[in-house]
Amino acid sequence: MALSGMRGLSVFISDVRNCQNKELERLRVDKELANVRTKFKHEKGLTPYEKKKYVWKMLYIYMLGYDVDFGHMETIALISAPKYAEKQVGYIVTSCLLNENHDFLRLVINTVRNDIIGRNETFQCLALTMVGNVGGKEFSESLAPDVQKLLISSSCRPLVRKKAALCLLRLYRKNPDVVNVDGWSDRMAQLLDERDIGVVTAVMSLLVSLVANNPDGYWNCVSKCVRLLERLTRSQDIPQEYTYYGIPSPWLQVKTMRVLQYFPSIEDPNIRRSLLEVLQRILMGTDVVKNVNKNNASHAVLFEALSLVMHLDAEKDMMSQCVALLGKFIAVREPNIRYLGLENMTRMLLVADVQESIKRHQAQIITSLKDPDISIRRRSLDLLYGMCDVSNAKDIVEELLQYLTTADFAIREELALKAAILAEKFAPDLSWYVDVILQLIEKAGDFVSDDIWYRVVQFVTNNEDLQAYSAAKARDYLDKPAVHETMVKVAGYLLGEYSHLLARRPGCSPREIFSIIHDKFPSVTTSTKAILLSSYTKILMHSQPGDPELLKQVLSVFKKFETYLDAEVQQRAVEYFALIQKGPSMVDIMAEMPKFPERQSALIKKAEDTDGDAADLSATKLRLQQQTSNAVVLVNQHSANGTSHLAPLSKVSSGSQNIDRGVLEQSHVGPQQNGMPVTAVGMAQSPNADLLGDLMAPLAIEAAPGSVPATQTSASLVPEEPSLGGSADPLALALLDGLSSSVQPTGSIQDWFNALCKKDSGVLYEDSFIQIGIKAEWRGSQGHVVIFLGNMQKVALTSVRATVLPPSHLRMQLLPVPETIPPRAQVQCPLDVLSLHASREVPVLDFSYSNSTVTVGSKLRLPVVMNKFLQPAPISPADFVTIWRTLSGPPNKLQEVVHGVKPMPLPEMKELFNSFHINVSPGLDPNLNNIVAATTFFSESGATLCLVRVETDPADRTQLRLTVASTDSSTTFELKEYIKEQLVDMSSITTTLPTNPATLGFTGPAAGLAGLL
Amino acid sequence: MINAVLVMNTQGKPRLTKFYKQVPVEKQQEIIRAIYAVLSSRGENYCNFADASNISGSDNKLVYKHFATLYFIFVVDGAESELAILDLIQVFVETLDRIFKNVCELDIVYNFNKVHTVLDEIVMGGQVVETNSADVMKAVQDIFKLERAV
Repeated sequence: MALSGMRGLSVFISDVRNCQNKELERLRVDKELANVRTKFKHEKGLTPYEKKKYVWKMLYIYMLGYDVDFGHMETIALISAPKYAEKQVGYIVTSCLLNENHDFLRLVINTVRNDIIGRNETFQCLALTMVGNVGGKEFSESLAPDVQKLLISSSCRPLVRKKAALCLLRLYRKNPDVVNVDGWSDRMAQLLDERDIGVVTAVMSLLVSLVANNPDGYWNCVSKCVRLLERLTRSQDIPQEYTYYGIPSPWLQVKTMRVLQYFPSIEDPNIRRSLLEVLQRILMGTDVVKNVNKNNASHAVLFEALSLVMHLDAEKDMMSQCVALLGKFIAVREPNIRYLGLENMTRMLLVADVQESIKRHQAQIITSLKDPDISIRRRSLDLLYGMCDVSNAKDIVEELLQYLTTADFAIREELALKAAILAEKFAPDLSWYVDVILQLIEKAGDFVSDDIWYRVVQFVTNNEDLQAYSAAKARDYLDKPAVHETMVKVAGYLLGEYSHLLARRPGCSPREIFSIIHDKFPSVTTSTKAILLSSYTKILMHSQPGDPELLKQVLSVFKKFETYLDAEVQQRAVEYFALIQKGPSMVDIMAEMPKFPERQSALIKKAEDTDGDAADLSATKLRLQQQTSNAVVLVNQHSANGTSHLAPLSKVSSGSQNIDRGVLEQSHVGPQQNGMPVTAVGMAQSPNADLLGDLMAPLAIEAAPGSVPATQTSASLVPEEPSLGGSADPLALALLDGLSSSVQPTGSIQDWFNALCKKDSGVLYEDSFIQIGIKAEWRGSQGHVVIFLGNMQKVALTSVRATVLPPSHLRMQLLPVPETIPPRAQVQCPLDVLSLHASREVPVLDFSYSNSTVTVGSKLRLPVVMNKFLQPAPISPADFVTIWRTLSGPPNKLQEVVHGVKPMPLPEMKELFNSFHINVSPGLDPNLNNIVAATTFFSESGATLCLVRVETDPADRTQLRLTVASTDSSTTFELKEYIKEQLVDMSSITTTLPTNPATLGFTGPAAGLAGLL
Repeated sequence: MINAVLVMNTQGKPRLTKFYKQVPVEKQQEIIRAIYAVLSSRGENYCNFADASNISGSDNKLVYKHFATLYFIFVVDGAESELAILDLIQVFVETLDRIFKNVCELDIVYNFNKVHTVLDEIVMGGQVVETNSADVMKAVQDIFKLERAV
């Protein structure tokens, strides 16, 4: 064992290694950091040896995962040292520790430049490596010409030139103008003729990037690449040291074939012919051998050749040869080859018409679905998913279902989603589809998202033939002893709607159905309870002429839940109780659900999203993406009058025009929203049952879905329809685009923001080019927010920028977003949030992008509001009173009389509090007009229990007295202000919008024009 | 491109970390932990690739090789050939082996600075500099000579 050559460093490393646990390690590291810090600070004349030693220590500590936030200046200073040894340490450690935006880098630009243009090759190498690793705009601007010179200078050693090539590549990525030089493509072509394989390899990496961004500029390199490939495959003139396990530089072969895939196509018949010959030779000449390393290398070349053949859209013979080879690979034992065989078969499916020949390997692929290695199982799942069509859907989906019961958790959700989508896309008949989904829920309920069961309900509702069948199935499943909650939801819903179709069958009387469902009632969560209450009402209604026993049972359930904690359940119970009293008029109100408007499956959309890719795309990938985007989109035949039911699942292959509005929006279509009247409390009290009857009556419902938005229910049916509050109609937008090329959001940014304050996922912003969605998870003081940027057009969005301006109370970290979003692709930008202390300020997302004509920018408030760091605190009355008493008076307990409150009934206010995670404790305050609630605020420093009391005045609902108490005065203050804002703020939004007919009326092109003027 | 090169032992302790894209240090550790979680659950005769789209970005993959007590891991995006990267790992390890004469974990622990030097001759800015082990050796030996010539 050789030691590092620095005793102090070795001793430190030994010490760290000897630490028994992480805690001791931290102590040792902290001690060392303190030591290094003092040395740097106080001791002036450190020897070069000492400096080197301390800087290496810093790097070691950094690699262990500790932040090293000092000593950067000392590190950088080493770069300017005259001796090689110091310089080398300075360069290496700088490139690890400092990022491209570090201010200190500016200080060494001159030194770095001098090293690059100087005559010392070893210094040149160090400088080039550091710049190549760090990148950075300023380096790019000041060093590019010098780096270029090194690359093309024939007097430089190959060692320097290959580093210059890669350095230039890094600078080019930062600033494409660095190669904006006359005749640069000719230079590149010349460089491909270099004799040194190392230089050519590096140049090839550079060329990949250049061609990926601008294929038209480098046509002159195509023939050179092909010739090089010929030379390599024939082993002509390749130095011995560049053969790796007998194969002439596999890397260069792979890179060269990669470059060729970035050219859209190769038209010149002569070049194409010679290229295909080379490829043919590679396809024929590769065998599986014993030596693993040799195998890897030869197959690296072979797989790249396969990719290139696919890209070239070669003749049919050659394609079938590829399929045959891949068929061989997916059956070998060697796992790497099998993995890549499956992966490439999946890609092949998308670019070539080889479906039929791949199907012959179905059994083999299914075997891989059971491989112990999850990487292989994933590839196999992808392939099965890709190769599925009407002819084999039954087999494949059944395999997936069977596998589901034994699959490990890591893959189950994906499996469930894919099975659901395939069942939907390729169902030979609809009853099979229903069977599959119900089985899916039974076997993997936890992994079945709501979207999946919403979709079943939509299908059943829109297909009369299915209704009795599904109800019977639902009954059978529900009758089993252990039933997943999702099954209870879907079965409860279906039985509510359609169990009357079964009434004549044994065991299916309304009373029996009710009792089967109600058996599950105690064990389900409130959202399911709410659905079941609706089902009961429907079942009862269908039991006309009445079954007094059933009526009694149902009424007693409603009675019991009249005072239930959850507002939704309570409201339903109260309303249904009142409705049932209405007798026959209930029939109108509780009529069967109308058909759902047709829309793209949220599932398919979701699957497309998960396929989303980052910015760095190969040409083949780009092509794939364009193809998948107009791949199968399930569109149900729309019928304007709503009479004809859903056409059989049809395949429309050019659905790309139809811009998807996102999963989030689609998930609104859940039966819950479409289900029971969720409108107003006033409904039950209102004597005007006619209005309601009109709205819910079958006649109105049977009207065309398109006409529904005219009625008032539309607001609750399609909440996202952007018709309120000055938001422009999409049509108006299109016009506006043409007129002024300004881009407007398709809805109200304020509304989106407000909605996101209460939920964790949804749309933050949308215009005709981009959709920005948010999905967040909150845990205590930490949040993980994913910002989705979706390009909705067929043109790439460029110059995409997004930065977050965090307020002082939050620590936020947004990873850089890619500069380009490819057409119809979505990128995800994770954002980590840490709450430092309480504050009402919100961070702002500053983003901009360019489409082909115009740059659009906007500052959007991010819904990282205070309530995201709150968690409901269940607290016993005794505890509450004790704590309340100990917190006496300001600044920890603050009281204020709030005026101008939005008048709302007490239950609504309670619900509002609950929605902000401020947990209302009913019955704690003897005065029924008061609300008492508790919540925990989380920040970096820990959890703070906050108590809230609201005293309302039944005579004047616009004012109330608000008291907030906690052990931390600033948290108390901020929370009080926050609650106040919510109570007052809400009013200004909800009262002004509906009463402002001017804004309501102004939609359509007129609004756009008015907006312009 | 190659987004990161990591060497960690079979207990998950990082022995060498080098990121070619800007990643804050906490996130680096998160990535390392996530990678270890993936690798430690993989068997010996599994393939050398694992999905890393949830770890370091969509279309990212881990290409790794297991030698004695160490994992050598390259985190790469879709623009790289998996098998070619595997070859590169082999070159990296063979080079270390020549330099340290039968390299073992302790060599890498105590000579992480030398390992950085070697890596810089093989990968730079996320791209392959040199694939020829002899050339790499020569470059590294020259550097070591210069270092000693204080």
